[in-house]
Amino acid sequence: MATEDPPSDGVEPAGVAGAAPDDGSRAGPGASGTPVVRGEEVVKEYETGGQTIRALKGIDFRIDPADSVAIVGPSGSGKSTLLNLLGLLDVPSEGQVRLRGEDVATLSNRERTLERKRTIGFVFQSFYLIPTLTALENVEMPRMLDRTPRKTRERATELLERVGLGDRLDHAPDELSGGQKQRVAIARSLVNDPEILLADEPTGNLDRDTGDRILDLFEELRTEEGVAVVTVTHDAYVAEAADRVVDLIDGELREDVESTTRADGGGEP
Amino acid sequence: MSRLRRLAAYVPTLLLARRNVSRARARSALAVAAVVIGVVAIGAIGVGGEAFKQDQLEAYEGFGGTATVSPVFYPNEEEPNMNFSDAEVARMEQAAGGATLVPVVQPFGSLVRTPSGETVVTARVKGIENPGEFYETADGTVPENWRRSVVVGSRIASNNDIEPGDQMTVVVEGELERTFRVAAVLQPQGFADPLSADQSVFVPVSAFDDPAYGEVIVRVDPATGSVDEAATGIENEFNARRRTVEVDRVQQQREQFEASFETINRFLIGVGAISLLVAAVTIANTLLMSVIEREGEIGVMRAVGYGRGAVIRLLVAEATMLGVLGGAIGGPVALGIGASINALLVGDPLAFTPAGLRYVGVGLAFGVLTALVAGVYPAWTAANKRPAEAFD
Repeated sequence: MATEDPPSDGVEPAGVAGAAPDDGSRAGPGASGTPVVRGEEVVKEYETGGQTIRALKGIDFRIDPADSVAIVGPSGSGKSTLLNLLGLLDVPSEGQVRLRGEDVATLSNRERTLERKRTIGFVFQSFYLIPTLTALENVEMPRMLDRTPRKTRERATELLERVGLGDRLDHAPDELSGGQKQRVAIARSLVNDPEILLADEPTGNLDRDTGDRILDLFEELRTEEGVAVVTVTHDAYVAEAADRVVDLIDGELREDVESTTRADGGGEP
Repeated sequence: MSRLRRLAAYVPTLLLARRNVSRARARSALAVAAVVIGVVAIGAIGVGGEAFKQDQLEAYEGFGGTATVSPVFYPNEEEPNMNFSDAEVARMEQAAGGATLVPVVQPFGSLVRTPSGETVVTARVKGIENPGEFYETADGTVPENWRRSVVVGSRIASNNDIEPGDQMTVVVEGELERTFRVAAVLQPQGFADPLSADQSVFVPVSAFDDPAYGEVIVRVDPATGSVDEAATGIENEFNARRRTVEVDRVQQQREQFEASFETINRFLIGVGAISLLVAAVTIANTLLMSVIEREGEIGVMRAVGYGRGAVIRLLVAEATMLGVLGGAIGGPVALGIGASINALLVGDPLAFTPAGLRYVGVGLAFGVLTALVAGVYPAWTAANKRPAEAFD
């Protein structure tokens, strides 16, 4: 299905995985428009302890604008590796990763860092806030060296208010709960207006209810800010919150057809 | 204009750096303490050394225009020349221009006994014409026509409880054995005095039947004449064919002292600088630990777009801050210690010489510099860690 309607609010055509040859290794809705990030036959190998480990064994993937994807897999499946590649933190050993059509391997370290800053926002399981900065300063941090202090402050304040922490701008991280810390991290991830929000086990350190709220927040922000949300997790429950689920097992990617259906008000399989 | 912008960019770096330094308070405090010790070591040794030098050099004051002429002793000669005769002294007077000459009789085998009959072992007997001409007395006076009394140096007097009016017996083997009255006790003269007056008992030359002068002191008022000229004159007169006299200028001794002092002081400062090396190691260690702890944070910084240069600048700024703090504390402490040393040795706590203050400044600068350099390795390690490795 080369022509596909651009995804509208939360309504994904069912059976979307059927697009193009369904050999089980393709993972893409086939939506129109250039994907933000696209991987073609990506292989990633590591040397550890004298052995070469093939973490990713020739996978294809794409992230489209305002996409909502969950990458599910057990530990050791290559999730972190894929996350690193999606986040432009690393380059593939073989195959190509393209950012808006451009091969990332052609970029220098510095250029890649700049692209990463512009395109990707990160949210981690352990939050990784800087304990010596206030919430507001933490959100500003990615732009602190940009010499646009006023605009940065405005954007940061706006984002913190958006995630519901407008009354805690000056709090230090150790004065915030886990959920609040994660919300600060989310605000921080958006301060550079990225196209993709990459979340690594975002609810891993949170209780169920708090986690649910975070996942809801992702969904709201996705539609408001037009940012793609990619969640990497081993928890199927978390994966269900995404529109599209992709299974990563032993370095191979497979679209999870069952979990991918989530029509508005539709039932879960 | 671009420099200003770069400065503004450094402000967030400094903000981040300051916050990070205040994180591990105890650790940072210890690192700062190490720098303080280094800065204080260098500064205090520098100032203290200068004070010591000033104190020692003071002893040379008043003897700047003095030289000692002694005969050169050739042991293989038939009649080794150990003394100057009157005729030779007269020649010297001619050759020395307008300088004042004080011939000194230095008898061997001389003894001095106190009123109570004890022998003063350390006293030297010297025969001169009139010590009152160039020495001040602490007690008593030296009569103009000084022929029948002795004048005692300050150390001899204080060690043996001798006062003017006491009787002392002077024994010179083969020459005289006579009891004299003590006419005066001299002011302390210090170690630079060519006559070593403090350790001497002066006897009138006239007491000797056949005075032979072991040395001749040349005195020139530095304001009006040059002791160098007098010395050269004498040397030319006597050493034309063969070295028969040795002229030893106090000024030369002073210069030698200054030179050897400089060397010793520099060595000590070097030792003090080693403590700064220890401070550098401490700072590097502290920062390294901090970097390892902050692996995640630094990884996030790299992930959100901080380049390697930015990370290095941040960490080096943290290290430098520790150095600046150490210097800010160490500088005043060094000055304080220096002031105490000044007060002790020179009497005036504020008697800092420019050289001494320079040492404090150098210590401070080195403290900051060392800290900066110490931060480079940990910064480099942190910046070059692949961000991907930081998360797990």
